[in-house]
Amino acid sequence: MGCVAFFPHLSDAEFQSACTTLIRSYASLPNPSPGNWISVETKCLHPQTFLRITKEHSLLLSPSPQRAEQDQSGNVPSLPDEGESLGVYGHEEDPEALSPSSPATPLIHYDIILSPTYRVPTLYVHIADPLHRFPPTMSTLYTHVLDPAYINQTKGSGVLGGITTADHPVEARPVFFVHPCRTAEVMLACAGGKEKDMEAWDYLVMWIGAMGKAVGLDVPKELVVRQGR
Amino acid sequence: MSNRDTATWLRERVWHASIPLEIRLHKADSSSYDSDAYLVHFPRLSYLAFLLPELHTFFYNDLIYPDVSWADAWLEYDGVPLKWHYPLGLLHDLYSGAAPVSAHDTSEEKETPSWQLTVHFSKYPEDQLVRLDTDGKHLRDLFTNNVKEADYLRNGTGRTMMFLGKQESQDLWEGVRKHDFNLFHPIYTQLMNPKGVALRHVPVRLYLPHAADPQAEEEITPGSVRVVQELVPLNTSSRQPQTVGSALNSIMGGLFPNKRLALVAEPVLHGATLPLDASVEDLMRTSAYCDGWLHIAFALL
Repeated sequence: MGCVAFFPHLSDAEFQSACTTLIRSYASLPNPSPGNWISVETKCLHPQTFLRITKEHSLLLSPSPQRAEQDQSGNVPSLPDEGESLGVYGHEEDPEALSPSSPATPLIHYDIILSPTYRVPTLYVHIADPLHRFPPTMSTLYTHVLDPAYINQTKGSGVLGGITTADHPVEARPVFFVHPCRTAEVMLACAGGKEKDMEAWDYLVMWIGAMGKAVGLDVPKELVVRQGR
Repeated sequence: MSNRDTATWLRERVWHASIPLEIRLHKADSSSYDSDAYLVHFPRLSYLAFLLPELHTFFYNDLIYPDVSWADAWLEYDGVPLKWHYPLGLLHDLYSGAAPVSAHDTSEEKETPSWQLTVHFSKYPEDQLVRLDTDGKHLRDLFTNNVKEADYLRNGTGRTMMFLGKQESQDLWEGVRKHDFNLFHPIYTQLMNPKGVALRHVPVRLYLPHAADPQAEEEITPGSVRVVQELVPLNTSSRQPQTVGSALNSIMGGLFPNKRLALVAEPVLHGATLPLDASVEDLMRTSAYCDGWLHIAFALL
């Protein structure tokens, strides 16, 4: 696959190629869960195909006090009861405490979908929790998903263009959604004039770096190093 | 009537179309044995969320916990929670079970029977419905994102929406919220006819019943739909004007193997079967929802 033809926009084939490279690189890693990644797969609901990266939800393990300082309206959000948030991995006295290997451990799914309108990848995030403790609400977003360092960027005209709850475009159920209206602009800025030499895989890695950090998604360096060989 | 007059007449007809609703309080939230139903003719183009404050007031004396916020309320039909960001007409086309009116239907216009909905004030289905806020900001954001996306599809830049003044954006939303044609229409007309820009694509979303996937990890919830969205250019690859049939054939050839004849399913918009030879551009100009989209449901044959 050559360079991205219409940077910062991707074609279906370029997006597919980048996804395939990511899946192949992930599968070839000796360490099966770099950066808490549990799986990388494509999901197909014709005619739409999307990439799903699943991680153990590390942000749930250590809700930062900073997160409590600010919610979307600038007010102090009420943190769930200790047993609700910290108790994901348990409280010592709690006989029903969960261990990290418990089947009830929440996972976080990052669905990357090529927007048929904007022709840039779009990020949809949701927490899969067998005990339904983290519904797709703004309160969960600010308490358990969003990295506090990025809260200001998610407001108004920030670089991320806003994170909110909306329906998953394929599965039609509420998830967290990073709005793509500024993605093209951000990708141009990140490319720094090197867009002519950029392949779809580089694009995807750069895009995850720019759009994913706020919600806890990074490309583990093992993956980048391995692909770069 | 000229084409222009017909388009205006249709646009107004779609704007004024309404569905009679009969809304009852769910028994789990009701302190009385048999509370009255709330009856209203509600516009097809509008959003049910706008009814919630009024429903809260109407059922206040019947509620077990009357001090509950109206933003905790949700509406349901036959076990299906009704999505806030789907306009009423789409919800009715998807779930009411009413047979769509066809162009071949020669009988006189029939009155739509009341759609019987249930309002709940507890057990909000957070996994199925986006949560609303009492300021209405979230609903407005969902609407605005759709308007922006439709604008981007139509002209390839999204600039018309981006360059609307604060007052114009406010008028557009207030026009929707109050269902006020005079507020809404001037701004909507600007969006649909940007100066110096050629129309590129028609904003179309298709809503299919969610077939159970045997490999799916999660259960399919009642009323779950799969939304399909692809670029719909004004003309086909053979430079013919894009019709409903050619667009459906290109996006879902399995369901629409023939561009001129519906064999498996029929597209439904505003309670009517869409003729497959209708131009998508004409449809957009006369029959789009307030967010600029053609939201199309399907009836199986």
